[in-house]
Amino acid sequence: MADTIRRLTGALARDPASLAYADLAEALRRKNQREEALRVALQGLSRHPMHADGHDVLARIYADMGDLDRARLAWSKVLEIAPDHGGALKGVAFVRFRQGDADAAAAALEQALAVDPSDEAARRALDTVRRTPWAPPAPPAEPAARVTESVAAPAALRDTASFAAAAAPAPTPPPLPAAPAEAARVRPPVFSGFDRSTADILLLDERGLVLAGGLVSSAGADVAEVAAAGLAGVSGEATRTGEYLGLGVWRTIVAEAESANLVVAPVGEGALILVRRDRSMPVGLALRFAERARGTASTWLAGQGA
Amino acid sequence: MSDELGRALDRISRVRGMRGSMWVSAEDGLPVAQLLMEGVPGKAVAALAASLVRKVSGTAGAVGAGRVRFVQMEAAGGTLLVALAPPDLLVVALADSRVNIGLARLEMMRAAQAAGR
Repeated sequence: MADTIRRLTGALARDPASLAYADLAEALRRKNQREEALRVALQGLSRHPMHADGHDVLARIYADMGDLDRARLAWSKVLEIAPDHGGALKGVAFVRFRQGDADAAAAALEQALAVDPSDEAARRALDTVRRTPWAPPAPPAEPAARVTESVAAPAALRDTASFAAAAAPAPTPPPLPAAPAEAARVRPPVFSGFDRSTADILLLDERGLVLAGGLVSSAGADVAEVAAAGLAGVSGEATRTGEYLGLGVWRTIVAEAESANLVVAPVGEGALILVRRDRSMPVGLALRFAERARGTASTWLAGQGA
Repeated sequence: MSDELGRALDRISRVRGMRGSMWVSAEDGLPVAQLLMEGVPGKAVAALAASLVRKVSGTAGAVGAGRVRFVQMEAAGGTLLVALAPPDLLVVALADSRVNIGLARLEMMRAAQAAGR
């Protein structure tokens, strides 16, 4: 654990804008260094306010500290950004159960299972919630330590005997960042048929929320949420530039970078598409590819009533 | 305006449809040298171009595309083009919709590379 913290601290020192802050905060939390974990998480989120996994870690830290209201708010934020975030759904279930709302806890666990039917921990927790005759749980003798354990386990809620039975597996935190395959599975397959349809094409709304497609880093991490958050800023800047300079409504932004070309374009009102193509594809061809993907996205959005 | 920077702007401005070109400080978005047609708001172009490039670069970094070299924003009434000339300069051009983007890009990248040497 100490090695992990050292490694992540080093990574963050080399690149303060890195998403490694979330892993570092989680590692510190697991070591019961809650204040330090909180500081790292808040600092990271100030740079990446739309990073769902960062808010998830923050929620766990607050839960460890016994601050369930803040934990619930942080998990709610995760679900605003990534409505199908399994860790956050289970976190909400944990808070609801602790606050005496078994129905809401069960609903959150059902949603977690709808997202990932193979989540055995969520299934056991749900069974337990349904079986448990409701009584407000007594405050644990050592809230922080016990919550730490319970939140670290996906089938949280182990501060009652019944939940402890449900939460038998060893703690396994949700993936940070989310595994691409998992993220892609819960997004609508709008671009199926396109090359790298869930790795290089992203549809998002103007607030920076992912709608469909996906974006995967060269290391295999899902960077869709981060990209979407950043792109909302790009769109706003482009609109401002068009207005100030009398250019009118912007149609495309093309960025040629060292290892890839990016094409960004509005899709109707309120949505954007990002297409990433390898540098080996000429810019003109990347633009045509993006235009085709934009047409597909536009048709899909129209079908959604958007 | 130094001769070298001025000559580069002159070459860029000869591209059909070009309304102006300028060297801009990447960090603060202030013009360093410019060659603009009447009515083009140089300071606004510089500031907005630098800001747009910062945002685009942030996103490119986040998605693993690496360092951005060239940005073009096409709009209904024209095009904004930016070539990055590391470490601290941008070549910015504002053009109408008739512009030959390929040619403009070529001249701008040439200027950016020369400035970086």
